[in-house]
Amino acid sequence: MADFVQLVILGLLAGGVYVAVGVGFGLVWGVLNIVNLAHGALVIVGGYLTWQLFTALGLDPFLTLPVDAVALFVLGYALQRGVINRIIRGPLLFTFLLTFGLNLVIINILLLIFGSDFRSVTPAYSGQGLEFGSVVIPYVRLISLGVAILMSAALALMLNRTRIGLAIQAISADRDAAQLVGIDLRHAYAVTFGLGAACAGVAGGLIAMIQAITPTAGEPYTLQAFVVVILGGLGRVSATVVGGLAFGLVEAFGQSIPGSGSVFANAIAFGLMVLVLVTRPQGLMGRLK
Amino acid sequence: MTKQDHLIGGKVMTMRTLALLAVAAVAAAAVACGGTSSGTTGSTITLGAPLGLTGSLAKESLLTQQGYNLWQDWINSQGGIVVNGVKHLVTIKYYDDTSSANQSAVLMQKLITGDKANFLLGPYGSAATATDAAIAEQNEIPMVEANGAAQSIFNQGYKYTFGVLSPANKYLQGVIDMAATLNPKPTTIAMLSADDNFSLEVADGVNTYAATKGMKVILYKKYKNGATNLSAEVQAAKAANADIVLNSGHLQEAIAINKAAKEQKVNAKIFAYSVGPSTPDFITALGKDADYVYGGSQWTPQVKYTPAFYLTVAEYVAAYKAKYPGLGDPDYHVAESTAACLALQRAIENAGSLDPKKVRDALAALDVTVFFGQLKFDSRGINIYKPMVVEQIQAGVHHTVFPADVADAQAKYPTPAWDQR
Repeated sequence: MADFVQLVILGLLAGGVYVAVGVGFGLVWGVLNIVNLAHGALVIVGGYLTWQLFTALGLDPFLTLPVDAVALFVLGYALQRGVINRIIRGPLLFTFLLTFGLNLVIINILLLIFGSDFRSVTPAYSGQGLEFGSVVIPYVRLISLGVAILMSAALALMLNRTRIGLAIQAISADRDAAQLVGIDLRHAYAVTFGLGAACAGVAGGLIAMIQAITPTAGEPYTLQAFVVVILGGLGRVSATVVGGLAFGLVEAFGQSIPGSGSVFANAIAFGLMVLVLVTRPQGLMGRLK
Repeated sequence: MTKQDHLIGGKVMTMRTLALLAVAAVAAAAVACGGTSSGTTGSTITLGAPLGLTGSLAKESLLTQQGYNLWQDWINSQGGIVVNGVKHLVTIKYYDDTSSANQSAVLMQKLITGDKANFLLGPYGSAATATDAAIAEQNEIPMVEANGAAQSIFNQGYKYTFGVLSPANKYLQGVIDMAATLNPKPTTIAMLSADDNFSLEVADGVNTYAATKGMKVILYKKYKNGATNLSAEVQAAKAANADIVLNSGHLQEAIAINKAAKEQKVNAKIFAYSVGPSTPDFITALGKDADYVYGGSQWTPQVKYTPAFYLTVAEYVAAYKAKYPGLGDPDYHVAESTAACLALQRAIENAGSLDPKKVRDALAALDVTVFFGQLKFDSRGINIYKPMVVEQIQAGVHHTVFPADVADAQAKYPTPAWDQR
């Protein structure tokens, strides 16, 4: 029984990271209709930023997360406004190609600056956790889950309560009508992408504490963000949260299948995604448009 | 015409012109004899080496390149490889295969047909080595490799591929040998393994060898190669309560497992990982949590081999630190890559020829000891004669703890529980 509880906890904690990676991706996809193949690379940029601040200044990694968010917001804004906006009205394939290219550029710039060494952020309290009998809840992962939920809540609040947030939602509903009422499309697009990148940056900071990062370590996260968003449903932040936690749980239970079952964990998770697409394409929590 | 004029080739030549021509002819002959006073210099030997300089294997490929370059500098400072009294300088042509095995094969072919490589040096990783071995075989050009330990490469019946490193199945057998000497003797093993060829062979090597030393593998879990979230697997190891936790995988996974072991309070007596602990990144990434971890290693700076040629172990370490300062001691990936070059060099010298078939035969017959250990290949082309050593990280420093004749420290056994460190 304790093992089962531990597995559920591990799954939810892992889900926290997936939530953090997924919300930014889902926002950009839902509003801008861009599947950002460079999302994983932006996550790793955030990770390196946290690592750099941790090793150079000794800053607690959780305190570097706001820095990640701001820095990646600026980067995302500039990328959207300067580069991606030029093909925003083009066919979907163009954005795929462009973000794919951006992914390669970012990875290789990271390689030039930081080299291919594996880096990890290991604060003093890493490895410690709450203990209830034989069940442990590691602090770092617990706080990461908390940060992910908080970040999602903040994002949802922003989208629903601020002018720019409402503008973004308006564009997502009907782009031309939004323009007609005077919403500055380019600025709103850039803010959206910036927010997506900011979320990616925070996710990267969390990931740097949980695993070792290297410039190419972001690639699996782009794919996982994709699955998380589809599982949960496109369009609402809360849906992505559900998707992320569900993905974490499925992975944890898939990996605990005895023997070689663990190698099928990915297949099970993606199989679930296919199942959702076939039976309930709006996602577990999405609404059909 | 005067008496001093001479007729040469129908043209009238003065004495002065003749003298000038003679001087020019002698000078040309002197130049043609080569710049060094000891022997002539022949054509430059080109060695082809595709490496994953970008992509997931960038770090390890860089180490491989360092090993190759160390030897290249040395051999060229000696004037080159001597073939029948003629020295040949060496140039190594690198291509970046972006850590893709298929791309590696494409580039290997390019090195052969486009760059006219005389011989081939291996890439990093068993996957790329396997695809490149096929190319070497098709073109009948010897490839000496140092970074592909999967035996599946050598069970294909290839005649042109030679591996100077110990095969995969031996990677963790040294840890089991060491464990058998410890008191109280550990008896149960939890074996975690990535699902790529190399890692599975290491794990199978443990599964078959453990029983011969009175130990039992009570858990064997495979996971997806490259996975970064291994909490569930580590949880299974915790539930099994094994004395020894072994991992067969790569650096990324070793770090993830160690972190998860601490978080989930897995207190085994021995943690040993096939790849990872020997690289400096392991210690810098984990800090104090890296202590007590064992690793199987192809070579450490503490081994005591007497080399037949090239540098001694101490000289090699010094040469590495001089060329690549600030990186600490060379890890075994660097050393084994240099060893591959040494094997090729000695085989060429023994063959007395640059003919691929003759060099291939010389490689098959090679038996020489260098700073890395004995270089000798079995009938399949892999070096089963050199033993693996076991390292342990103690207080952030690598120490060789087994076998006893090369150990520089005692194993710190058993590993203390996480909350008692």
